[in-house]
Amino acid sequence: MSEIITTYEPDNSLKKGYLSIFSEIYNEFKKNRWLTYQLFKRDFFALYKQSFIGVLWVFIIPLVSVGTFILLNRSGIFSIGDINVPYPIYAILGMAFWQLFSTGLITSSNSLVKAGSMIAKINFSKKSLVIASAGQSIVSFLIQLTLVIILFIYYKIAPSAAILLIPLFMIPIMLLTLGLGFIFSLLNGIVRDIGNILSILMTFLMFLTPILYAKPSIGILARITNYNPLYYLTSVPRDLVLTGAITEWKGFLISSIISIFIFIICLVVFHLTETRVAERI
Amino acid sequence: MDKDFAIKVENVSKKYCKSLKRSMLYGVKDIARNTFGLSSHSDKLRKNEFWALDDISFEVKKGETLGIIGPNGSGKTTLLKLLNGIFWPDIGKIAIKGKVGALIEVGAGFHPLLTGRENIYINAAILGMTKEETDRKFDAIVEFADIGDFLDVPVKHYSSGMFVRLGFAVAVHCEPDILLVDEVLAVGDSVFQTRCYRKINEIKKRDNVAIVLVSHSLLTVEKFCDNGLFLNYGKIKSYGEIHKVIRDYQSAINQLLDEQKSVVGAIPGVPYCTKEVEIIYVKYLGKDNKERKEFSPGDALGIRIKYKTNNTVFNPIFQIAILNQEDLCISVFGTHIDKTKIKSIQGEGIIECWIDNLPLLLNKYFITVAVYDKTHNITFDYWNGAILNKYIQILPNRTSEKMAEYTPICYLNNEWTFYKEENND
Repeated sequence: MSEIITTYEPDNSLKKGYLSIFSEIYNEFKKNRWLTYQLFKRDFFALYKQSFIGVLWVFIIPLVSVGTFILLNRSGIFSIGDINVPYPIYAILGMAFWQLFSTGLITSSNSLVKAGSMIAKINFSKKSLVIASAGQSIVSFLIQLTLVIILFIYYKIAPSAAILLIPLFMIPIMLLTLGLGFIFSLLNGIVRDIGNILSILMTFLMFLTPILYAKPSIGILARITNYNPLYYLTSVPRDLVLTGAITEWKGFLISSIISIFIFIICLVVFHLTETRVAERI
Repeated sequence: MDKDFAIKVENVSKKYCKSLKRSMLYGVKDIARNTFGLSSHSDKLRKNEFWALDDISFEVKKGETLGIIGPNGSGKTTLLKLLNGIFWPDIGKIAIKGKVGALIEVGAGFHPLLTGRENIYINAAILGMTKEETDRKFDAIVEFADIGDFLDVPVKHYSSGMFVRLGFAVAVHCEPDILLVDEVLAVGDSVFQTRCYRKINEIKKRDNVAIVLVSHSLLTVEKFCDNGLFLNYGKIKSYGEIHKVIRDYQSAINQLLDEQKSVVGAIPGVPYCTKEVEIIYVKYLGKDNKERKEFSPGDALGIRIKYKTNNTVFNPIFQIAILNQEDLCISVFGTHIDKTKIKSIQGEGIIECWIDNLPLLLNKYFITVAVYDKTHNITFDYWNGAILNKYIQILPNRTSEKMAEYTPICYLNNEWTFYKEENND
């Protein structure tokens, strides 16, 4: 019987050097695939179990926000801007991509706190916990996508064939979400303020990013949008579905590279410091 | 290096922070330092920090059981969590060989809204089992948990006993090389506890598992463990062969009680004693007046108590209780109950109590002897057979062997009379 000797000592990962970290992380991911799936399933089934309308809640949130915007626009309080597809499709598709980020980040950053007692009592992969929570937003995304398809049928418009490329274009925003989710879940485990700050920040960012309105061409918001990676990560996939064309390749590419870097850095930091969280959660 | 070891702990210390706000600050600082490859200087105490565990070293070999005892807050659970890798040491090194199964809190990963079946799979995954392993052991887990129709009911509707049974069943089936058991089994009823300990014993023998057991029940620790570790305030007070460690623990506690002149019942089983009358020894006698500890059902048992007192004590009460291993009182008798008045005692003397036909069946029984003042309010001395491990062992005889299939709880001395016809008055 081959037996692995595990050692625990202070600053353990550092002694092995930075390079071995990546193989460690890879092995941990590989070993815990089944655990990650189980945790994902648990979160998914538990979320809507004690609820009458269950999974329909996923539809209600974007419908309410979009409905508010339609109302504001119709009464002339707020100008949505120039959009050449029916507004509900534009807005709900945008919301779907946005929530991939916002809900994903909020649930994953709460994942360690929510599992607090479990973390303090069982030793298991905390990365699986974060990934499983972030994964919840993919399920909501898919459900919202069916809503978008229903709308396409209703308006008798055909989406571009590029809709099939969505999984590919989702990768950067998912990496960004997961990476930030890792780091914020850890910080939230130690300092609870992080969770509150994040939910406020998400609302603010949603209005700052052209999700429910078209990108303004002049003014301060236009300038901010030019440097907002979230704008490229959400609107490029959306344009692709609606028109089949990509207008802002460069922005999307730069934002994707930034996302990948954030993901890697956050993952390494998480790996190095996750042992600190159990005693403080 | 010794090749046999399962757990090796070398000079391990762990610190905690008393202030929550500072703990948050330190946490963020440590994360920042670790991120940039700086040592977190964990070997130094910062403000408001203290050592929860201080310079702990020990070793557990394969197939060996270590019992950790100590008062509340002595660091027992922290030590288990370090062994499990939940916390990491601030100083020192822990080496673990093989897969660790921990019963620090059973059912910690259960989701209340999900059914027993769903939770088995999730919990098994959390404890490190693969899908194939879980599928293979599913029936065994369900059978051991004994939850019957409740398998497909959300676990929030389970009784606490069922909850623990399911949690234990999953944990014990994950085939660890090392099993860490905290005081978790105290929740279940005694039938379940017995079953759990039997199961732990079984896997210990079969798979050569190393076990670390934390318990407040000295009886359990003594029964199961080869070695003991007595912790107090995070430091090792005694380590080695289990009987020695238990004795050290007992004397430490007695000393503590003497210092505190504390109230009755500060430790379970030993009230505060004034020692005005002292019990020098207690002996168990057979019919032949010779000391022995093995008896058979129906035998005569004599309990000889030698006492000493410097003053004259009027109307003292001598009381004897017989307890089984679960601390359940089987019977109690005393000079005040049986109306045997002792006028006064002075100096040294012996008092004997005889039971003619022992009604006890196969098992170990502990005897407790106490001397009280005439009001029964002041304890002069208290001799706890369970703590001193002075038990009587009831061995089978032909009668009890024949009785065994009916699983009776006691033997009653009986006489049969035989008549030809009904005796009408």
